Amino acid sequence: MKKMHQRIRPWLIKKFALPSDVILELPRITIIGQLHVYIENHKGLAVFTDNELKLKTTKGYIQIKGSSFVLKMMLPEEILLEGKISDVKFISN
Amino acid sequence: MKQIQGSYITGYVTVLVEGNMPELFFQDCINNGITVWEIKREAPNACSGNVKLKDIGKIKSLRRGKNYKVSFTRKKGYPFILSRFFRRKEIVIGMALSILLIFFLSNIIWKVEITGVPKDIEEKIDKQLRDYGVHPGAWSFTLDKPGEIQRNLTEDVPELLWVGVHKKGTTFFLEGVEKTIVEEGEVEGPRDLVASKKGVIKNMYVSKGLPKVEINDYVEPGDVLVSGTLNEVEEQGEDEEEINEKEKRILVASEGEIIANTWYETNVTIPLQANYELLTGKHEKKYFIGFGDFHLPIWGFGSPEYEDIHREDTKNSLYFFKWKLPISFIETTLSEKTYNKIERTKEQAIQAGIEQAKQELQLQLGPDAVITSEKVLHESEESGKVKLSLYLTVEEDIAKAQPINQGD
Repeated sequence: MKKMHQRIRPWLIKKFALPSDVILELPRITIIGQLHVYIENHKGLAVFTDNELKLKTTKGYIQIKGSSFVLKMMLPEEILLEGKISDVKFISN
Repeated sequence: MKQIQGSYITGYVTVLVEGNMPELFFQDCINNGITVWEIKREAPNACSGNVKLKDIGKIKSLRRGKNYKVSFTRKKGYPFILSRFFRRKEIVIGMALSILLIFFLSNIIWKVEITGVPKDIEEKIDKQLRDYGVHPGAWSFTLDKPGEIQRNLTEDVPELLWVGVHKKGTTFFLEGVEKTIVEEGEVEGPRDLVASKKGVIKNMYVSKGLPKVEINDYVEPGDVLVSGTLNEVEEQGEDEEEINEKEKRILVASEGEIIANTWYETNVTIPLQANYELLTGKHEKKYFIGFGDFHLPIWGFGSPEYEDIHREDTKNSLYFFKWKLPISFIETTLSEKTYNKIERTKEQAIQAGIEQAKQELQLQLGPDAVITSEKVLHESEESGKVKLSLYLTVEEDIAKAQPINQGD
């Protein structure tokens, strides 16, 4: 039953052009140059230091590295990071 | 970003969290609905972030049972500025005093401006106004309404035909119109005296002119009483002769008083019962400051022990600069009054009715007329009222000047 459910979702996205982040509960990451990273649909903060931000998602973690990080805003499922971003990495479980 | 908008107005606090993995404390905050922004790593085991002033209570309760040290490092926003401001007593007192001063000065008459009248009348008005208490330096809320001043002024200064009073801020503007006393439109030159009313001639005092009527003659309005043409000739004969005669005529301005008996019929209605209120003259004054409908007494407490009270309120609004404040100064005069009831018999009612009719007629005819006799023509009683039909005889001057048309 669950397999059926999971198969049907990509099909829905393909056929009806629905936004994939909503249907699959994936994070949506918007990066503006090296300045800002805006992450929606995350599942919580794991690590935050001056040069690293690690967020939980449904399928693992997102790791963002850089320097002089500041969390400009934090809301239940959104985060706005400011600083000098060098890389964004997906770490799966 | 709208979540943190306006936080400067409501106030926000920078929180410093110390302990193992301090960012997780902020995660906890967010899970509990507290918005956090500007999160920074201050040290390996310390994080700082901004939270709204209203969320501080929640943060304190979250801190309980956790291994974090939470301290508030910076306070920003209007609530803190205000509290810092109010901590400085001198400034607050100074500010309050200056507002009070402006408030007082806004309620003082600064200037009385009189326009439109010559200097002497202006002085007269100024003196009268001083009597009413309108002068520079007076409290504007103790004064009468401009309309009332206007009425009193036109009564007390007879030279004034009209005066417009209006108050604009702290200035009283008066605009006067002088009365130009016009000589009564006497007919100049030759004239006759004619009757203005019908009546029977009683007395004649003719100082100039040729009387045309005699005592006990009945005259109709328009009849010539005294002629201004002295050697009037019968208009007969040939045309040429008439012209000659006309040239010889002597025309004078006739003068005289023709007293005649005239009569009037009036109807009056007199109730058999009447209620009226009378002020006994005892009164007390009270002063209030009113905020909308609420009146705060400032002078005159307790109510006088009058049985019936006639209440009169005068309300004057207070101003701050030019703005009317919702505060007003109210002066209440409580006067004792008595209710009186009179019941009259029919006889008394008729007497009262006659008196009333006489007074009305006298008012209408002026003080020179003398009412000589009255007679009740008809009386009827109806639903507590007596209806009278009266016949009044009056002696009055019925002469009226009429210019003689000289035909030129």
